[in-house]
Amino acid sequence: MVERAGYPTVSIVSSGFLKQAEVVARGLGLPDLPIAHYPGVPMTDSVEELQRKVEHELIPQIIRGITAQEVVTFTQTAAPDPAPRDVVFRGTLDEVGEHFYSNQWSDGLPIIPPTLERIERFLRYTDRAADEVIGICPPDNREATVWNIAVTGVIAGCRPEYMPLLIAVVEAVTDPEYRMQDAGSTPGWESLIVVNGPIVKDLDFNCGASVMRVGRQANTSVGRFLRLVLRNMSGFRFAPGAGDKGSIGQSFLVALAEDEDAVRQIGWQPFSADRGFKAGDNIVTVQSVVGISPPVYTGSEKATEHARILAEVIGGSCTYWSPVGIAYGKWHPLLLLGPSIAKVFAQEGWSKDDLRKYLYDNVTMRASDAERYAYYVGLTDFSLADKVKQGIVPAVYHESDDPERLIPVFQKPEWIGIVVAGDPGRNQSKGYCSNHVQGPPVSKAVRLPRDWNQLLAKIRG
Amino acid sequence: MNVRPISSEPAYEVVWPLGRSHWDMRAPNERVPDLRGKTICEIWDHVFRGERIFPLIRETLQKRYPGIRFVEYDKLGDTHGPHQKEVLAALPGLLKQYGCDAVISGVGA
Repeated sequence: MVERAGYPTVSIVSSGFLKQAEVVARGLGLPDLPIAHYPGVPMTDSVEELQRKVEHELIPQIIRGITAQEVVTFTQTAAPDPAPRDVVFRGTLDEVGEHFYSNQWSDGLPIIPPTLERIERFLRYTDRAADEVIGICPPDNREATVWNIAVTGVIAGCRPEYMPLLIAVVEAVTDPEYRMQDAGSTPGWESLIVVNGPIVKDLDFNCGASVMRVGRQANTSVGRFLRLVLRNMSGFRFAPGAGDKGSIGQSFLVALAEDEDAVRQIGWQPFSADRGFKAGDNIVTVQSVVGISPPVYTGSEKATEHARILAEVIGGSCTYWSPVGIAYGKWHPLLLLGPSIAKVFAQEGWSKDDLRKYLYDNVTMRASDAERYAYYVGLTDFSLADKVKQGIVPAVYHESDDPERLIPVFQKPEWIGIVVAGDPGRNQSKGYCSNHVQGPPVSKAVRLPRDWNQLLAKIRG
Repeated sequence: MNVRPISSEPAYEVVWPLGRSHWDMRAPNERVPDLRGKTICEIWDHVFRGERIFPLIRETLQKRYPGIRFVEYDKLGDTHGPHQKEVLAALPGLLKQYGCDAVISGVGA
């Protein structure tokens, strides 16, 4: 953006990120943006080695990047993109699959060929125009339209009636708040879609046992859909492609539907209401997940006993990532609470806020650990004192310089999300650790077509 | 697009799964051939040892180019931090205010 503002720029990028830099530069319309290459991994070089590399290898490239007018490689006469309805390939199922795979348009699984007929079936489930641009998908900065959302839905194996929800998912991730451009960052975070409202039952989402397992078409294909959006609209691919720098990464997460019957029975409000909507609205929320806790079994008729173990295990599993949340002043871990556990809390008069407050009060870590963990993530000038001084986190994070002092792991109780789902016949919960400002929860209402009920009746009939 | 099926399997005519690119392509701005007396602005995302890298760059370029001036990264904000949106929005104005001739941005690692 600095180049677009009119300033000649050179960008310092280390070896492992050169390909990603190419993707980002191309996505911003500047394929020939000068790059100065730091060879190797700066985080593991000694001070002496870093100095040597900067002086002898990086600086000559910086000088060249700022001073030398290079030959541009892009051409204004490059072939235009195909029009939405252009047929780009014709073949059997296997041939289409191979074509998509070799172009890095698919995820390695078999695909449903996106034919015009199949796409039109999806478009019947929305009143929105096919060419409406729902959002721009960085870093490739491709337009996500109603049309290509339908295309991606077909490819992913979604049913046509999922279309209104698919559009809402894309609205959520293309909201600048979500920071879609960071979905390829090295933590390898994945997007978790949470579904609320009558649409859970309308579309036959699973919200009970094995809620996070592949196997129910709605949960599975909607999760796969979003991963394909990130691949094809945002450009997140790994070798032989580029753009996705997830160092280890994880697979797409199936969409999580909340068990609103269980929530209603215990007198709690659903996750969608926590997010500011009316209980009973059809809402999708998308947020990042960098890691998942072990399954946590808690027992007793006493809420505090459950809370204690949840704090120890789920709080414990999120602790390592807490400093990263502190660095960016934003962090939204999610607690997936089994229905039988939620029932105990409710019976003992606990609200969701009471549980959040308990976790905030009872999960702490040493300040020195926070600063050490943050440094090795790459936040090499991280200091709790500075973060408090800058107003990014409250004073409790720097009440003294004692490195052994304890600080809260969860920055704000209200930032802990709670979704009730899973096996009602077992006493199990899980924690989903989010990734700071990258992928905070963003919620969007699902806009149904005017004739939704008739369309649903036709499917069921 | 012209593969003919070699069996009795149906043939599928499929469309492009990507979306139109939002940005038009363009060349980078004209470079600054001589850095003597020029103002260089530093933009840092506050990761990956920029606190060591940028001072080394300054020191070397100051020895090589008389009169070169640096606007250090703390004047321009953390481009990857909690206020990224605001920092990026303010950048063009700040670069103009500081009389910037060229920018060194880092560190992607």
